[in-house]
Amino acid sequence: MNQLKTIRTRQTGQSARIDAEIEAILAGEEELLPSSGFLSSVLERIEQEAAAPPPVPFPWKRAVPGILMAAGVFSWGTVKLIRLDLLTPALLRFTLPPLSSAVIGQIEQAGWIAMALGVSLLSWLLARRLAGRGGLL
Amino acid sequence: MNAAIRAEKDLADPDLKDVACVLAGDVAAFEGIVRRWQGPMVNMAWRYCRDRSRAEEMAQEAFLRAWLGLAHWRQESSFSTWLFALAANVYRSELKRFPAETLPLDAAPEPSGPASQHCELAAKLSRETVRSAVLALPLRYREPVVLFYFHEMDVAAAAATLALPVGTLKARLSRARALLRQRFPRLEEECVSMEAAVLERGKEAVN
Repeated sequence: MNQLKTIRTRQTGQSARIDAEIEAILAGEEELLPSSGFLSSVLERIEQEAAAPPPVPFPWKRAVPGILMAAGVFSWGTVKLIRLDLLTPALLRFTLPPLSSAVIGQIEQAGWIAMALGVSLLSWLLARRLAGRGGLL
Repeated sequence: MNAAIRAEKDLADPDLKDVACVLAGDVAAFEGIVRRWQGPMVNMAWRYCRDRSRAEEMAQEAFLRAWLGLAHWRQESSFSTWLFALAANVYRSELKRFPAETLPLDAAPEPSGPASQHCELAAKLSRETVRSAVLALPLRYREPVVLFYFHEMDVAAAAATLALPVGTLKARLSRARALLRQRFPRLEEECVSMEAAVLERGKEAVN
């Protein structure tokens, strides 16, 4: 028991020393001086930006009639399609060809496999995210 | 009374004075701001990418965004806090667009035992390896480390720059240190042996 305590104390002490070492290395970094042309290049870019004409605002006044007209046409078309669908239900509907029960069973099994794969992928991505790594690779 | 004190403070603070001039239309007044902050901005960018020319490009972009955004600064925080927060955003999005070239954390080599003739060089390489390993940390841990040491270990300033609560920043720093410690378990013993080797060489040189 005492041995375990000693080992743990030693490990904590070692961690603290490594932390201190890392801290000393990171804090002791030399300062970088900007190059001599840095100031002038920044000012030049800002002057260019200041001299540039202001961005052209979006022409809302001209665009609004067009947007309204497009919205009207879209709504009218949607209403027409719904009405057509209500009047002629049999003409436009697509139906699946009759399938045998064996084929349906296989499709069901494939669906379950796809779902299991999807769940596995999601749990793997979640585990990586929790571990602090982003991305797929 | 408060307005008078604030006006007096504004006049004393060169940043606030320059900001007021820039907002009044004097573009040249921005030079003072760039002069005062070019060093910190370039150094901060350097800690994000460890590439000198890219650091200057990123700092330049940050200054440009600062100039464009001056009118939106509400003076709720100090000018430096606002500038560093803006720069952190710029650097983060720049690195998302074109990530810095880094080794994965696992691939960063553990500093090896020093050869007696080259111990100073080995110590330098070891320090550089640790600094480069920081770049390989996930961004959420890397940024707190970069800003904590950039702000000379001021947790509050680093937290304000990242707009994070101090507790969250401390937790991320602790996790980052744990990751680095995991990667460099022999660091402390290596550094001690390197220092000993340097001392030994010094003694030999004296004798």
